[in-house]
Amino acid sequence: MKTKKLIAPRYLFLSAILIILAGGLVLIPKFEKHEGISPELLLSNAISPERYISTDELADRYISRDPTILLIDVRDESSFNENTLPNSVNIPLNKLLDENFDAYLNQTAYDVILFSNDSFKANQAWILCNRLGYKNLHVLKGGINEWFSTIINPKEPTENMPKTAFELYSFRKAASMYFGVMYEDQLKIAVPKKTKTTPKLVIPIKKKKKIPTEGGC
Amino acid sequence: MGPLIPNGVIPYEWNNILAILIGIAFGFVLESSGFSSSRKLAGVFYGYDFAVLKVFFTAAVVASIGLYYMDYLGYISVGELYVQPTYLWGAIIGGAVMGVGFVAAGFCPGTAITSVAIGKIDAMVYIVGIMIGVFIFSEFYTLFQPLYEGSYLGNITVVDYFGVNPYIFIFCLTIVALLAFFFTDMIRKKVKKVFY
Repeated sequence: MKTKKLIAPRYLFLSAILIILAGGLVLIPKFEKHEGISPELLLSNAISPERYISTDELADRYISRDPTILLIDVRDESSFNENTLPNSVNIPLNKLLDENFDAYLNQTAYDVILFSNDSFKANQAWILCNRLGYKNLHVLKGGINEWFSTIINPKEPTENMPKTAFELYSFRKAASMYFGVMYEDQLKIAVPKKTKTTPKLVIPIKKKKKIPTEGGC
Repeated sequence: MGPLIPNGVIPYEWNNILAILIGIAFGFVLESSGFSSSRKLAGVFYGYDFAVLKVFFTAAVVASIGLYYMDYLGYISVGELYVQPTYLWGAIIGGAVMGVGFVAAGFCPGTAITSVAIGKIDAMVYIVGIMIGVFIFSEFYTLFQPLYEGSYLGNITVVDYFGVNPYIFIFCLTIVALLAFFFTDMIRKKVKKVFY
């Protein structure tokens, strides 16, 4: 009877509702919440054409000295020391989520290009980083193997191939020269034609001598 | 799904329009529940009316319970909500100054605006006081700056900072709120009634 006087029944009812609701929050079974970006977004990123970057495009950006590319080699350290692409950073796949490398991957200033021997490991790294919501991630299509077979050692097109194949070949050949490959036809040093140069005609210009002022008022 | 505007469910351009509509509704509810009376607001300090405490505490508890249920059901993601940054000492000292103003005038800035809307002269004077305060603050900003921008803790919440389980924290907060309502009601009954 005394509590009834102390608290009006309608307040008691409202407090009970609040306690039940708050207690419900504590008691409801918890489940692991999905971390990172939503599955739909991950899927749309995965099928986006921007995911891959071709070796030709990469070569083009190399040659034009694009400052916005950041190459990341996800193979292990020994293969990185053996051979890699110029100016790349080594982040082995098993150390990908290491704090030291976070600044390379989680940023928006550069286009990160992940590569490995083929695109398999780079794709794994891509998925991991993408789920964490990192931006501007790309995978080098075909990896280093593709790089060697297209840019460093391009295949000469046969005669029955379309014109575009020849253009692509000449681009790749030029790119490989940029990266230091020598070709036989390059070794034949063309002797520059000597052209007769006419001696430059020099007309002496007589400078007017300043006449000293004479006299005076 | 939520938050609605950052996730593009509602276009970003609606942001300000919705804010104005919600603000009008808020002002209407403040006025209709008597919060434009400085006597009612000051009551919490003199012990004859604890409406302010009850309203703010209930709002916090109901909103947090609701948000975490919505989060659980996947309608909103609590992690994506905007959290005000914390400047610890700035908040403490600013809060104390605000409290003094609250006792002295019987208004907080929001309720003062609703009172001006219904034509209360003391609220108008209060608004002029706010303007003077803003002017002094801006003129002496360099003096206040270390306090204003110091002890920055980031966009933290109590749950993040102390690492407690949010569900248990909300449950405890609910219990504390209900106890506070109960005891303040007892105080109110003991204090001499003031008619206003």
